[in-house]
Amino acid sequence: MNRTLQIFLFAFSLLSLIMILRSVYRNRMNIHYAMIWIIFGIVLIVISIFPRLISYLSRILGIYAPANTIFLVTIFFLYALSFYAYLRISKLNDQIQSLNYEIALLKKKFEENSKEQE
Amino acid sequence: MKTLVIIPAFNEAANIENLTKELISFGYDYLIINDGSTDETAEILRKNSYSFLDLKENVGIAGVTKVGFRYAYENGFDGAIVIDGDGQHPPGYIHALLNEVAAGSDYVVGSRFVTEKKPLTPRMLGSRLLCLLIRLKTGVKVTDPTSGMRAMGKRVLADFAENMNFIAEPDALCYVLRKGYKVREIQVEMKEREGGVSYFANPFKSVRYMVNVILSILFVQW
Repeated sequence: MNRTLQIFLFAFSLLSLIMILRSVYRNRMNIHYAMIWIIFGIVLIVISIFPRLISYLSRILGIYAPANTIFLVTIFFLYALSFYAYLRISKLNDQIQSLNYEIALLKKKFEENSKEQE
Repeated sequence: MKTLVIIPAFNEAANIENLTKELISFGYDYLIINDGSTDETAEILRKNSYSFLDLKENVGIAGVTKVGFRYAYENGFDGAIVIDGDGQHPPGYIHALLNEVAAGSDYVVGSRFVTEKKPLTPRMLGSRLLCLLIRLKTGVKVTDPTSGMRAMGKRVLADFAENMNFIAEPDALCYVLRKGYKVREIQVEMKEREGGVSYFANPFKSVRYMVNVILSILFVQW
């Protein structure tokens, strides 16, 4: 790997890890969700320091250009992550709907009771 | 048989009063569900002391009907019927649909085209396509898959209250047919909406609706 590219990759990885950690410190990201991003950030840094890991992986998978291996792995990771995020969103949707219903129900009962007392 | 009339209402301040008065004059148990309206719908419902649920967050038509089914099921109703809050489903037909449920049908659709001919408008072209898909998938000939006026008995009510995962009416219809419920269609007349704006006035939303419903029928509703 080109030295300039390597430095660039390292700087970018470090920056993204700092960004992730800052989000967690400031309570903008729930710690349970931050873990996977922290791991991803660390993996990026490791790769930028030891690019041979990618060359090695490329040889095993039979991929000629190491850059393609990075693309493949990253796309797979992002694909899986966004799928998981969709699952979570769906669940949150259901939960909001359920709470919405419970609140509306309580409001209805409350209003009926206060009318009876008048 | 104890049945509930479910009325989803989103920004229906212009229509809801007339509709509810008519329902009350028929003597039905009813529940209006205000889906986080941004107009005076909630104030009108409160002022008149109508029976209603006031949802804080907008959940969309599918979410609202699910809330209605859950309420009906949890409060021991034997059946339910959905009519739109925009006044396009005349309450005079509720009786006919509920009778059909009482006679043993699980799911009864108020259709505009059982005895009437379907006009050749772009929207009805979409309706024809959905009819064809449902027929290919279930072998059953339906005439008005997009009709929102639907009555159901306790079995479907329990099913919907628990696990409802539909885009809209056509794939819900496909689901009940696939599940082997007894489905009937009854001829009804629908009115043009009296006020407010229709969801399908927006062409982008119409296309998205069609694509989503077709995908749901083809791949999701087994």
